[in-house]
Amino acid sequence: MKDSSTRVHAVLEELREGFLLFDGAMGTMLQQRGVGPGQLPELLNLSDPELVTDIHREYVAAGCQVITANTFGANALKLADSGYTVDQVVSAGIACAKAAGAPYVALDLGPTGQLLQPMGTLSFEEAYQLYAEQVTAGLEAGADLILIETISDLYEAKAAILAAREQSDLPVFCTLTFEEGQRTFIGADPLTAAVALNAWGVDALGVNCSLGPNELLPVVESLLEYAKIPVMVQANAGLPREEAGRTVYDISPESYAAAVERMLDTGVRIVGGCCGTTPVYMKRLHELLEGRKPVAVTPRRITACCSGTTARVLDGRISVIGERINPTGKKRLKEALREGRMDYIIGEAIDQTAAGADLLDINVGLPELDEPRMLAGVIREVQGVTALPLQIDSSDPAAIEAGVRCYCGKPVINSVNGKKESMEQIFPIVKKYGALVVGLTLDEGGIPPTAEERFAIAKRIWETAKAYGIPEEDLLIDCLVLTASAQQDQVLETLKAIKLVKSRLGLKTVLGVSNVSFGLPARPLLNSVYLAAAFGAGLDAPILNPLSPDMMRVVDTFRVLNGEDRDAAAYIERYADFQTDGPAAAPPTAFSDGSQDTAAAFPGPPAGLTLYDCIVQGRKDEAGEKVKALLQEQSALQIIDEQFVPALDYVGDRFEKGKIFLPQLMQSAQAVKTAFAIIKEAQTGEKQAAKGKILLATVQGDIHDIGKNIVKMMLENYGYDVVDLGKDVPVEQVVEETLRQDIRLVGLSALMTTTVKNMQETIEALRRAGAGCKVMVGGAVLNEEYAKMVGADYYAKDAQASVRIAAAFFGE
Amino acid sequence: MAAIDKSEALRYLGHRGQDVPADLSALIDDCMEQCMAAARPRQVSRRFDLSAGMDGLELVGTGLSLPGRDIAAHLAGCSACLLMAATLGVDMDNLIKRYESVDLTRSLILDACAASLIESVCDEAEAALRQQAEGEGKGLTGRYSPGYGDLPLELQPRFTALLDTVRRIGLCCSRTDILLPRKSVTAIMGITDRPPAGPSVRQGCGRNCADCKLTDCYYRKEEAHI
Repeated sequence: MKDSSTRVHAVLEELREGFLLFDGAMGTMLQQRGVGPGQLPELLNLSDPELVTDIHREYVAAGCQVITANTFGANALKLADSGYTVDQVVSAGIACAKAAGAPYVALDLGPTGQLLQPMGTLSFEEAYQLYAEQVTAGLEAGADLILIETISDLYEAKAAILAAREQSDLPVFCTLTFEEGQRTFIGADPLTAAVALNAWGVDALGVNCSLGPNELLPVVESLLEYAKIPVMVQANAGLPREEAGRTVYDISPESYAAAVERMLDTGVRIVGGCCGTTPVYMKRLHELLEGRKPVAVTPRRITACCSGTTARVLDGRISVIGERINPTGKKRLKEALREGRMDYIIGEAIDQTAAGADLLDINVGLPELDEPRMLAGVIREVQGVTALPLQIDSSDPAAIEAGVRCYCGKPVINSVNGKKESMEQIFPIVKKYGALVVGLTLDEGGIPPTAEERFAIAKRIWETAKAYGIPEEDLLIDCLVLTASAQQDQVLETLKAIKLVKSRLGLKTVLGVSNVSFGLPARPLLNSVYLAAAFGAGLDAPILNPLSPDMMRVVDTFRVLNGEDRDAAAYIERYADFQTDGPAAAPPTAFSDGSQDTAAAFPGPPAGLTLYDCIVQGRKDEAGEKVKALLQEQSALQIIDEQFVPALDYVGDRFEKGKIFLPQLMQSAQAVKTAFAIIKEAQTGEKQAAKGKILLATVQGDIHDIGKNIVKMMLENYGYDVVDLGKDVPVEQVVEETLRQDIRLVGLSALMTTTVKNMQETIEALRRAGAGCKVMVGGAVLNEEYAKMVGADYYAKDAQASVRIAAAFFGE
Repeated sequence: MAAIDKSEALRYLGHRGQDVPADLSALIDDCMEQCMAAARPRQVSRRFDLSAGMDGLELVGTGLSLPGRDIAAHLAGCSACLLMAATLGVDMDNLIKRYESVDLTRSLILDACAASLIESVCDEAEAALRQQAEGEGKGLTGRYSPGYGDLPLELQPRFTALLDTVRRIGLCCSRTDILLPRKSVTAIMGITDRPPAGPSVRQGCGRNCADCKLTDCYYRKEEAHI
C-alpha cells in the first residue's frame, strides 16, 4: 500500500504537468492473434501470460504511459465457473502489465455484466462487493491507479467508485460509453455524467468505447464544459462492422490521431484507444503529445444535482421541490410507510413528476420506524420510477447517509444547520458522497428573529462548508418560514434574509413556503401570495405541493416574469383557455390521483349510469364520482356488497366465458380500485375487516410482475388484505413474512422455466419451516401439472381464478 | 421501419375475437404511440461456422454447442449460422414499470405493444441479414431462440457473451437467464448454401403455433386462425 501511495502521486503529478497516454485495445489484439470469442480473455493472464505481456509490451514500445491490465471482466460473477479466484486472475493480470515494463499500471474495472435493481436483479451492494474484491486484489498486486470504464449505468459507476475509494487510496479514473444520441444505454447525458462523476470524487472522467473519435466530439465538448477534473477519451477506431465473422473498425491511425488532436485542442488531457485501436494508433498519439502543452479549460461553475439519467441545474431558473413524500400531517402516507406499501409512495412520486416538479423531497421520518432502512428502501423504489433528482430529507444523520449511499446521482441533502454538532455530522457525508446541501438558518439558540442574525448563521454554515472542502456552489440556504398566525412580524424577515444571502454570499436559496399559512383559513391563497413574494426576494427553489394548481400557477407565471419561460411558450400552452373564476386550468395530468385539487376537473358521470354500470364498463373516474355520492346515503359495506361484488362477479364471469378479454377485466377492476380508495379515505378510524390475508410474491430471480400485480388488484377488490412482497423476492423473505404475519394463503408467480425452480424451492422452504399455509401459483409457463410438480396446492390460470381459489379457501 | 402490429398486440392481451370497445381501442392506439416514442431499438449480429460435435452442433472457435434435436433439425445442412440479439432499451422497461403503480391496464397494454415491436425489430433485422446472405448466393433459415422447443434457455448468457451485447447494445443476461432490458431477443439463424426456392417458413414461437409443443400456451392461436 505504501508503494502505491508514492506512485499515486507520480501519476497524478504527471497529469498536472501535461498529458497521459493510455494504451489501446486488448480484445482487438487478442483477436488478431487468433483468440476466439468464446472464452474469458482474462483467463489468459494465467494460461498464456506471455501472450498478454507481449501485447502490453507493444503498447509500452509505442509510448503508452499507462498500461491497462487485462482485468476488465475479472469479477466473481464472470469467473464463477472458471476454476480461478478473482485474486488469482487480477494479480496475474497486473503482473503481466508490470512485466511489460509499464510506467504505470491501471487496474481495469468493466461493467459487472448485470443490470442493477430495480430494472435488473443485481443489488447495489452486490455490485459494490464484486468491485471491492477486484480492487483489493489489484491494490495487493501493485496497481498504480484504477480505471473504471465502458460503463453505461451511473449506478454501476457509483458502486465501482465507492469500492475503489473505500478499499484503496489509488487514483480513480472513470469513463462511460455514449450512443449516437449522446446518451448512455441507460439514458445519462454528458451533463449528468459530469455532475455525478465530479460529485463522486474521481480524479478524471470521460468517455470510452461507444463510437469513433469524430462521433464522440460533441460528447467530449459537453464534458469539458462541466468537468472540474481532467477529461479522458478512449474512442473506438470508428464504427464496428461485421466482416466474415470478425468485428472490424474502419478508421485509420492517421484519421484517429487527427480527431484526437481536435480533442486535445479543446482541453482533453488523457487519451488512448478502445475497440479496434492498436499500438500503431497509440504511436501516432504519442507523436501528437510530444512537446505539446495542455490547453487550459475553465469549466462552468453551476449548482446542479442529478439522478442516474437527468441533471437539474439550479442556476437561472426556478426549481420546484415536490414536498408530498413527507408523512407530517398525512394519514395515508403514514399508513403506507408503517405497512411498507410502496405503491402509494410510488404513486406520489409519479404524480408529482407529471405535475411538473423538478426535484422530489423524500422524508420518511416516523418515530416507530427504522429510518435509515426505510429511507434507503424508499429511495431505491422512487429512483426506479422517476428521472427527477431527489432531496434526501431527515434529521437523522445515519438515515441521511444510508439514503445518500444508495442514491444513484448527486442528491440534495436536507439538511444541515448552524449547530456545531449538525455541521460535524452532515458535512463529512456531503464531502464523501457528493451532494448539494441545504443549510437551515438556525443554531443552538433556535431560529433568530431578525434577518441579519439568520444571515450570520448562513455565513457561518458557508464558511464551515468551505473548510470541509465543499464547493460553495453546492450549498443552498433555507431562511425558514414562520407562521403568519403565530409570528406575524417575522414573515417578512425571512424574505429579507433571502435577499441578504443572495446578495452577499451569492448562494441559492430554498424555502418550505406552506408553513406560513398554518392555522389560517384558505391556506392555498396565503401560500401562493407568499410564494410570489419569496420569488421577488430571489428564492430559487421552493418546496411545495406541485399538485396544487394555486402554487403551480405562481410558478408558471413567475417563470414568464423572470424570463425563464422564453416567449411565454409554456405559459401560453397551459393557460390559453384560463378563466379567472373557472375550474383549475393548471394541469390535472394523466397521472392525477383524483385528489381534491383536481377532482373538480372530472366530468360528471353520464346520466343514467349506476355505480354498477360504471364498474362493468370500466369507467374509473365516473365510478369515483358515483361512490362519493352514494356514500352520502349508504354504508361502505352496503356499497361493497351490493355494487362492487356483483359487478365484479358479472365481469369475472364474462371474462371466464371469453366474452370480454383481459384489458376489459382490468378496467373494471381499476374502477373498483378507484372507488375503494374513496371509501377508505372517507372511513375515519374503524378499519374494514378483511376477508383474509394473502401474501403475494414474484419468486427470486424473476422480475416479471405484471401478472402478480393484476392478481393483487383483483384480490384487494374482493376485500382481501394483500401483503405484496414485490418481485425477485428471496426464498427466506417469503418464509419469514409468512410466519411472522401468520399467513394462510400464499400466491407465487414466475414467468420463466428457469425461475420456476425458485418457486419450487420457495414452496419447499415454506413446508420445511412448518408454515401451515396453502400455496397457489401462476405464470405463463405453468399449468395444472407443472403446478403439482413444484408442490403447489392450487394452480391459478389467471387473475380471476386466483379470486375463486381465495374464495373457496377462506370458505365463502 | 419497425412498427407495432395492433392485431399482434391484441393477441398478446388475450384477445380472441371479442368486440373491442372504441375507448379501449383508442387507449391501445395511444399506448402504441407511447411505446414507439420510448423504444430505442438496437441490434447486433455475428456469423459463426458450424461443425458437428459430441454434444450437438458446435459454433466453431467458441466452445459452445447447441444441444437438442429441435435446433439440429432447424440448422440441418447449414455449415454456418448467424447469432443475433435485439433490444428496445431500458426506457421501455421504465415506461411500463412507471404505469404499473398508477394504471395497470395501460402498463399491460404497453407491455403487449412492446412485445409486438421487438418482434418487428427482429423481423426487420432478419430481413436485412437475409438480403445480405442472398446477395452472397446463400440463404437463411428463420430465427430460433433459446427456450423454443428443446433448446435450453440456459444458453442465453452464452449468446449474449458471444455477441458482446453488454458493450454493443446495452443488453444483459441475469443470473436466472432473463434478458434485461426485458423487451429483448436473442436468436440463431442457419446459413444455407443456396437461397430458398419459395418463401421462408418461420419456425419456433410467434407464428407457427400448429407445430409447437406448448399446447396450453396462453398465446396459442385458435386453430381456425392459423
